[in-house]
Amino acid sequence: MIKRGIFALLLCVMAVSSAWGRMVVVAQDATWPPMEFLNENKEIVGFAPEFMKAVAKEAGFELELKNVAWDGIFAGLDAGQYDAVCSSVTITEERKKAMDFTQPYYKVRQALVVPKTVDVKGLEEMKGKTLGAQIGTTGYFTIKKAKGLTAKSYDEIGLAMEDLFNGRLDGVVCDDPVAAQYALQKAEYAAKLKIASILETGDEYYGIAVKKGNKELVDLLNKGIKAVQEKGIDKTIRAKWLSQ
Amino acid sequence: MIEISDGAAIPSRKDVGLFSAWRIAFAGAILILVYLAVSKPDPYFKILRFIPDGILVTFQVTLCSIFFSLVLGLITGLGRISRNRFINSVASIYVEVVRGIPLLVQLFYIYYALGRFVRLPDMVAAVIAMSLCYGAYMGEVFRAGIESIHKGQTEAARSLGFNTAQTMRYVIVPQAWRTILPPVGNEFIALLKDTSLVSILAVADMLRRGREFAAESFAYFETYTVIALVYLIITLMLSKLVSLLEERYSHYG
Repeated sequence: MIKRGIFALLLCVMAVSSAWGRMVVVAQDATWPPMEFLNENKEIVGFAPEFMKAVAKEAGFELELKNVAWDGIFAGLDAGQYDAVCSSVTITEERKKAMDFTQPYYKVRQALVVPKTVDVKGLEEMKGKTLGAQIGTTGYFTIKKAKGLTAKSYDEIGLAMEDLFNGRLDGVVCDDPVAAQYALQKAEYAAKLKIASILETGDEYYGIAVKKGNKELVDLLNKGIKAVQEKGIDKTIRAKWLSQ
Repeated sequence: MIEISDGAAIPSRKDVGLFSAWRIAFAGAILILVYLAVSKPDPYFKILRFIPDGILVTFQVTLCSIFFSLVLGLITGLGRISRNRFINSVASIYVEVVRGIPLLVQLFYIYYALGRFVRLPDMVAAVIAMSLCYGAYMGEVFRAGIESIHKGQTEAARSLGFNTAQTMRYVIVPQAWRTILPPVGNEFIALLKDTSLVSILAVADMLRRGREFAAESFAYFETYTVIALVYLIITLMLSKLVSLLEERYSHYG
């Protein structure tokens, strides 16, 4: 009787574990519309979460999305609080030293957002001005590197946009889909702000970041990304969230 | 004696245990910092070179806020014990409202929410929020200090022909000052530590400089170790300063 009980229990455990499969926890900073943001129901929505779900389906793993603040998101990855970061992370040489990346899944460029009343074409015309960006983003690295202007770092891009809207900043630099979301899509901001230019800092590619040395997960994710791209699923998701 | 425990401990010479703890913590923090900077200049020395302008901003916010919160606190404290019903209720409502809202929310409110109507520069908004908040706390300390002076003192002063203002100025406040100084010193230290919250307004204080460094270098452990040690050193120096002040004024009266 006891033997049979144990056997049944064992079967149960096996059934459950095979049904669950491999669980991958992915961190996203849901303050970056339209790539990843929270809707009214506090669910993470946007291009990236939907893309991530498609990747999980193709590669065959269970996905859990976790909303994590951007500042410190890589520290959490390093500490093993989640397995991957899929949060509009541009693949850069500096980041590659600290973490591993999958193949690119999206291409962006940096955009300069200014008030509608201002007529500028690029960063070189912003000398003596104060520009804002989100801390630890390629947008912030861009304005910090530029000569002759004051760079301010914000916790969230929305706060920088709000300061630009209220006239405390002369410009904001961020990824172009996000710039378009604020300067073109959000009615209140769009009435006052515009995209001055796409900066000459070159193309950037988003990749999914995983802890340094986790090759097994990189391969798994790459398998999923490849399938999603080959089947053209990413184009459908892109059309849904980005109207460019 | 009024007990307030949110600041770092202010050691007095009589309290031998705490006094040596102060020395150990202070010397230890400096030694660790120097050791790290010399033995591993990358990134520790780099971090130390990255944050000085942030330390300056932290000091500016602290000093300005201390000044304005003292002024506001004195007015509030006197208002709270005023027999004038209107003044008394204005002061009391101010204290209750401000003490009931977290400082972080106040900072957000004054900078971002009111930003739609008044465009305050970030530093000004930071100092206003810190002063408003600590003005209420210090108001309560002042009130308690003034109320701790025996009623007989007022009666004696009045019978000698002092009016209310003179009684306050020459009899009550000089005595209350001694009772008030330790808790006010504690508030100073708490205020200094709370200035780290202003980094949320994109004010480039020490914490924000540290976060900027960490976000680019991914040296989280190293950066926040340095930030914590520098805060500790500054806080310990301030607590020493307050205890020296206290000793000086204990001879008063």
